[in-house]
Amino acid sequence: MSQRLEFRPEADDAVNDEGEALRFMRPHFGEEKFPWVQIWGYVGSLVLTFAALILVVDHVLPPLALLSVILTLAVGQAALQLGVFMHIRESRGLAWQMIFLGMVLLMGVGMVGMSIWIMTFKSGVS
Amino acid sequence: MPSFVLYLVRTLFPHDVLRPTELGADVMIVATGVIIVYVLTKQKKWLYLWREWLTTVDHKKIGIMYLIAALAMLFRGGVDALMLRTNLALPNTPVIDALEYNQVFTTHGTIMIFFMAMPFIFALFNVAVPLMIGARDVAFPRLNAMSFWLFAFGALLLNIAFVIGGSPDAGWTAYPPYTGLAFNSGPGENYFFLSLLIAGIGTTMTGINFLVTVLRMRAPGMTLMKMPMFIWSALTTSALIIFAFPPLTVAMAMSLFDRLFGSSFFTLAHGGLAMMYVNLFWLFGHPEVYIVVLPVFGIFSEVVATFSQKALFGYTVMVISIVSIMVLAYGTWVHHFFTMGAGPGVNAFFGLSTMLIAIPTGVKIFNWIFTMWGGRIQMTVAMLYQMAFIPTFVIGGATGILLATVPADYQLHNTYFLIAHFHNVLIGGTLFGLLSGMYYWWPKMFGHKLNERQGKWAFWLFFWGFWITFGPQYLLGLKGMTRRIYTYPAGFGWHTLNVISTVGAFVMGAAFVVLVYSVVYSLQHGEKDLTGDPWNGRTLEWAIPSPAPEYNFARIPVVHERDAWWDMKQKGQTLASMRPEDMRTLELPRNTPIPFLLGFAFFVVGFGMTFEWWYIVALGALGVVATLIYSGFDYDEHKHIAATEVLEIEAGLGRVQG
Repeated sequence: MSQRLEFRPEADDAVNDEGEALRFMRPHFGEEKFPWVQIWGYVGSLVLTFAALILVVDHVLPPLALLSVILTLAVGQAALQLGVFMHIRESRGLAWQMIFLGMVLLMGVGMVGMSIWIMTFKSGVS
Repeated sequence: MPSFVLYLVRTLFPHDVLRPTELGADVMIVATGVIIVYVLTKQKKWLYLWREWLTTVDHKKIGIMYLIAALAMLFRGGVDALMLRTNLALPNTPVIDALEYNQVFTTHGTIMIFFMAMPFIFALFNVAVPLMIGARDVAFPRLNAMSFWLFAFGALLLNIAFVIGGSPDAGWTAYPPYTGLAFNSGPGENYFFLSLLIAGIGTTMTGINFLVTVLRMRAPGMTLMKMPMFIWSALTTSALIIFAFPPLTVAMAMSLFDRLFGSSFFTLAHGGLAMMYVNLFWLFGHPEVYIVVLPVFGIFSEVVATFSQKALFGYTVMVISIVSIMVLAYGTWVHHFFTMGAGPGVNAFFGLSTMLIAIPTGVKIFNWIFTMWGGRIQMTVAMLYQMAFIPTFVIGGATGILLATVPADYQLHNTYFLIAHFHNVLIGGTLFGLLSGMYYWWPKMFGHKLNERQGKWAFWLFFWGFWITFGPQYLLGLKGMTRRIYTYPAGFGWHTLNVISTVGAFVMGAAFVVLVYSVVYSLQHGEKDLTGDPWNGRTLEWAIPSPAPEYNFARIPVVHERDAWWDMKQKGQTLASMRPEDMRTLELPRNTPIPFLLGFAFFVVGFGMTFEWWYIVALGALGVVATLIYSGFDYDEHKHIAATEVLEIEAGLGRVQG
């Protein structure tokens, strides 16, 4: 019969069904008493969002400058979300993640860039 | 007080929902509801329903609930289709008027895509993915249940629209200005946007869940290149969902803002840019068609290998092609609106990128054929759907290439040629694949096979019904018949073809009736699956009993080869010869009412917002926040099944030595 009735996957000596140690699988969660980073990240993301909103609603800048500034703000927002909420600094195998992040970047730039390209048409039906 | 009641009655039951069809539906809904309540009470099943189903986090049960929902929605969407077709066969005496026709085609499209195809796919993901990769559940079981209930309550919100308040009527694409408040003031479009927003949250979470499940939960030894093709399709589909749904959410939310809060993102006045909605919608919409077809490619890859008794031909190339389809799927969305006039440069780019997708898809078609080549083919129902899929999908793909040719598209855009094309790929591809998957995994879900003879009847009716319906529609498109018209003048030469098409639609209706009869019949008389491996399968789900025990695998298997279970059988190994001392205490997710309550709270928000009753919205929002906070601090989310109990269950199944 089983020797270990207690099942503790988080313990240092945890093993899988095959008896292999699971310690290497544990992610490196940054543990803090109070999630200040997340709170400031949340505030920061709100600031970035409202900055973009106000810039657009109040027509503060000429169109091209406005577009550049809100795109910059969007990139900052994405970086903040990844860094603060997506635990990107706490994972194992960052090299693998860079491949996927590169892919994400390509897709994101493709979608936004091509949307801008598509929507620049000025004529009627061509 | 009476004026308040009058207001309520007028708002909830306007003229729209008091037509004979809606009143008939009301009677049926109430009658069915009464019967269900009566049976549940009589059989004392309420507690069972709550404990075993409504609060479950078991992926197999969630899969079954998705399947039931999808079949119910297939019925609703199918009845809508029959109403549309009946009208078009009788152009001189329309059965339903223009407004109702708009509502019915909107509901038909929305339901078939979002509330039939998507849940059907998630049903098969839930049932098969964890079992195929040798896992005990998905990565986030509670999130999985939340996904289901958000989908279910989102679907409910859309489905009550036609009897309470009025249906949406701007098409499943919901283009502005049709959806703008200036032209469409009823609650219908609010229902549409809110139901899709709520169900969309669930779908996004499902995408995240299955991406993580596939990447992190595979059995030891199952490297990426040893995964079954269905798992590859789950992985790529999840990646598509994660990228495709945000644009949809944004487009729906902005449209809703235009309607509820007086913004003008897509309005014609105040500098709104209606074309931007079209761009955002198809930024989602094109990946969406691959979301509904990639899983089917995965299903067919499993079905064709199993019933040809032969390993899948060209596995590596299959992986490369499915991944390239995933990437290319993001670069083609403009082909849905070439006629917007974005210019020759844009149109040429997207026309070419669309044609490019035909290459990896063609590679897959050839590989399925080569898998059958020299194999010992068994003509089961699942395999019949596969055999029908290949020619049907090839024709659908070829007409797609015609539509991708920009000059031709200017002629064919929005005609019945387009309608025939996308039904060709959605029925011939998605629906045939889903039914194939249902027949294939049914024994694993319920422990018995579906009746093959009745299944073949349903198959042939579906197949011929499909071609009789949509073959003529290609011709109608070439004759200039446009979509979304409820009647047409005599003398255009459209009538005969429309009558033939309608006959085909009713043949498909008959196929659905046979299918449902077969399901009910097989519950009683279906051939029991005692081995757990009724098809002589190749992948790990067939290594365990049918239906799978709650914990799936008493011991997680070790994988050495692709087609792990086939490999084990070749070596004379089995998972059913464990010794008592092999048993371990297993950790499983604990049932929780939180997902159900969260879905309900979202439903309250959605319903309140549809009618702009802000107190109800606040109440629902409070419920959402409360459920999430409670869930965040609920650390008691696991339960354990003692080794002795596992031993007892496994011994009961005859899977223990000595």
